[in-house]
Amino acid sequence: MRDVYVLGAGQSSFGSFPEETYLTLFDDAFDAALDSVDGEFDPGAIEEAYLGTLGVGGRQIGLSGPAVTEHLGLHGVPTTRVENACAASGFAFRQAVTAVKSGVVDVALAGGYEVMTDASSDHTRWWLGVSGETEWERTSGTTFAGVYAQMASAHMDEYGTTAEDLSRVAVKNHANGAKNPKAHLGFECSLEDAVSAPSVADPLNLYHCCPTTDGASAAIVVSEEVAREASDAAVRVAGAGAASGRVGLFQRDSLTSVPASVTAGESAYEQAGVGPDDLDFAEVHDCFAIAELLAYEDLGFCERGEAGRLLREGVTDPDGELPVNTSGGLKSKGHPIGATGTGQIVEAFKQLRGEAYVQVDDPKYGLTHNVGGSGGGVTVHVLERGEFA
Amino acid sequence: MRGIAAAGAYVPRFRLTTDELSEAWGTSHASGIERKAVPAADEDALTMAVEAAERALSSDAVDREDLTLAAVATTTPPAEEGELLPRLARALDLPRSVATATVGGHTAAGAEALSRALDAEGPALVVAADCPAGEPAEGDHPLGAGAAAFVVDDDASATVTGTAWYTEETPGIRFRERGGEEVASLDVTTYQRNAIREAVTEAVSSLPVDPADADAAAVHQPDGQFPYRATADLPVSNGAVAAGTVVDRIGDAGAATVPLGLLAALDADDPESNGDDAESAGTSIAAFFGGGTAAGVAVEGDVDVVGIHDLEGGTTVDYASYLRERGYVVSGDVAGGGAHVSLPNWRRSLDQRYRLVAGICPECGGVSFPPEGACQSCHSRVEFEEFEAPRTGTVRALTVIGQGGAPPEFAELQQRDGAYAVAIVELEAAAGRVRLPAQVTDADPADVDVGDEVRATVRRIYEQEGVPRYGVKFEPIESE
Repeated sequence: MRDVYVLGAGQSSFGSFPEETYLTLFDDAFDAALDSVDGEFDPGAIEEAYLGTLGVGGRQIGLSGPAVTEHLGLHGVPTTRVENACAASGFAFRQAVTAVKSGVVDVALAGGYEVMTDASSDHTRWWLGVSGETEWERTSGTTFAGVYAQMASAHMDEYGTTAEDLSRVAVKNHANGAKNPKAHLGFECSLEDAVSAPSVADPLNLYHCCPTTDGASAAIVVSEEVAREASDAAVRVAGAGAASGRVGLFQRDSLTSVPASVTAGESAYEQAGVGPDDLDFAEVHDCFAIAELLAYEDLGFCERGEAGRLLREGVTDPDGELPVNTSGGLKSKGHPIGATGTGQIVEAFKQLRGEAYVQVDDPKYGLTHNVGGSGGGVTVHVLERGEFA
Repeated sequence: MRGIAAAGAYVPRFRLTTDELSEAWGTSHASGIERKAVPAADEDALTMAVEAAERALSSDAVDREDLTLAAVATTTPPAEEGELLPRLARALDLPRSVATATVGGHTAAGAEALSRALDAEGPALVVAADCPAGEPAEGDHPLGAGAAAFVVDDDASATVTGTAWYTEETPGIRFRERGGEEVASLDVTTYQRNAIREAVTEAVSSLPVDPADADAAAVHQPDGQFPYRATADLPVSNGAVAAGTVVDRIGDAGAATVPLGLLAALDADDPESNGDDAESAGTSIAAFFGGGTAAGVAVEGDVDVVGIHDLEGGTTVDYASYLRERGYVVSGDVAGGGAHVSLPNWRRSLDQRYRLVAGICPECGGVSFPPEGACQSCHSRVEFEEFEAPRTGTVRALTVIGQGGAPPEFAELQQRDGAYAVAIVELEAAAGRVRLPAQVTDADPADVDVGDEVRATVRRIYEQEGVPRYGVKFEPIESE
């Protein structure tokens, strides 16, 4: 099978735009993706589209994918809407990669969109719980924050992780997001702010939780041949790993790990022929602070129980050994559920081309990690700087 | 002889003192009541009945699968019309062939239910559970809550030596209008006192025992003074009345008050009951009154009452918390949609929600909960061998859902009960580890920690489209 490249990637601004629709937001993302292509590219070349969304709020529950591509003027392009909760567009990207890799198409569009801030608070709370395991987890009275809070409590109990460790995720990611003009919460916060914020689902407080966000993101996925024609600096998809896991936390062996992240990571590393030590940066799924800590351990950035230490020692700061979430992450950049997975691809694409707002020094490999729910579906991609300039 | 072979009592954890009530209203209408029991937001007559019955059945006096009759007495069924006994039977895992009787409408309902059980053949379960409500400024003041469960069987240690009835139209004493929530009384003081005294006197006098010989008498007790007045024409000693009076500690628990008074009298471990001589079982009398019907029951002997200590202690609440817990000041509307677990799907999971039924994988021996789909250990598609997990376990992960953080269907619970803890609880069975998510109830969430020991209890989970849903929650096991 052949190599696959990201030719262009872009996002709308992430934020609260209650007047916008998923259609208009995706227009912005698509335009940004087209603008990011350094050579000539005709959008008419797009043969297939995979678009991720949870569909928060209901709106167009059926056929929102085709509605988006038709709205864009990609008339007639076969479009599949992908739903895997917060990993919807991680999986949409994976579908596009698979389609190109297999030779079925040469050019595919991957992307995602979500509108979350135009509903009443009760309505929003209802939607925020729909990706937890419904029959038991939801009916025990938890929303999503509650399930991650349970993981945090178990991690704290098992490894002595502290509220300060969790808060360091917010401090770091906000510092990065403050430099990202497309971030939802583009401001800095102090450790004191982050430790003393009001509780959301104990032990998680407000600064340990990402916001609800409107936004869209898009990536143009192409064959090597197309990439060489249209670009001097396309980004290679070196590894594409994914896995499913039990939707309910209580159904899994471990309360302090996301098994699907481990499997998806191992498979992405193996395809790419690299390991965690070879990475120059990573965008991980920090929907809640504990999720970033779990990602460090599940993806092999450190041993079990050591994630807090990585944060304390600044290993994942922009000037550290392995910068994580230079975009601001879900915490600061925002988490428009269906748009998050390809949103991470946008940041990796920028980093590997030297165009990021918080630029890592001369990176060769970057990793993106997108989690659906509390671990029911995970994609991990390893991206590599293009070498045909 | 037929009688009470086993018994269980349950009183909710919360207490409201009459001092606190007086502080709130400037006066109180709860004479002779020191404190009253307050059902928590996730409790109702059904959940209290399940708990009391579970306690009664925890003695080995009878096997639950042998029960031929289950009778419930309550004036406050969770729905005016709908399942009560089938839910109780399912929650307790009683045989599907059990005969059922639901008695309500007045505070002597417990006597009618007990009478059904005495007339039945084979072991029978009787539960009186009640949590009446009244107009907050006055009628509500004495009203409490509780549940008493009796296992009736032949060759019981506490034998019922006689029952007697007296019925006469006496309107306006205690009634609730059709569709109404609040118990009312016209409060024609002398008329009602005389009517009740006369009915109680007639019923008790017809019993085949001399009331003067009674060591304990559980007499209709809407307040703390009333049972003494009601027995003024009978040769019952004040000491006997005191031994059967519980209203001073739990309030007027409607149809459950006299049954709980009788259990306090019968409890074998209580040195104050059944006379001074703990060696010989004494004579107890129960005198029910409600809706114009009085009933006397005479009992000889005693029985261990599991949970009788619930009458004492409890956690006191302030008046604002009381109003919230009982739902006097909460709307209860579910906005924005609730969890979409259909009722047929909910019903399908009742063995898990009530009885913690998990499955063993015949391929690898691993345990799955719920016992459905592929094995959670080896991922084979198998027919699980089902078993009931133990009802005690350990908190392995925990969160506290604060005000405003609950899903819409739990918003009412949160308004009433405040922040609540949700745990992943691990039950250690012989076959392996069972894990499930569940709320930790009857606890200050700040006091619950990973590693705490907890016990299963059936509570109201939430209500959707007018139908309450019940299932397992866990309560802390107090370290004593």
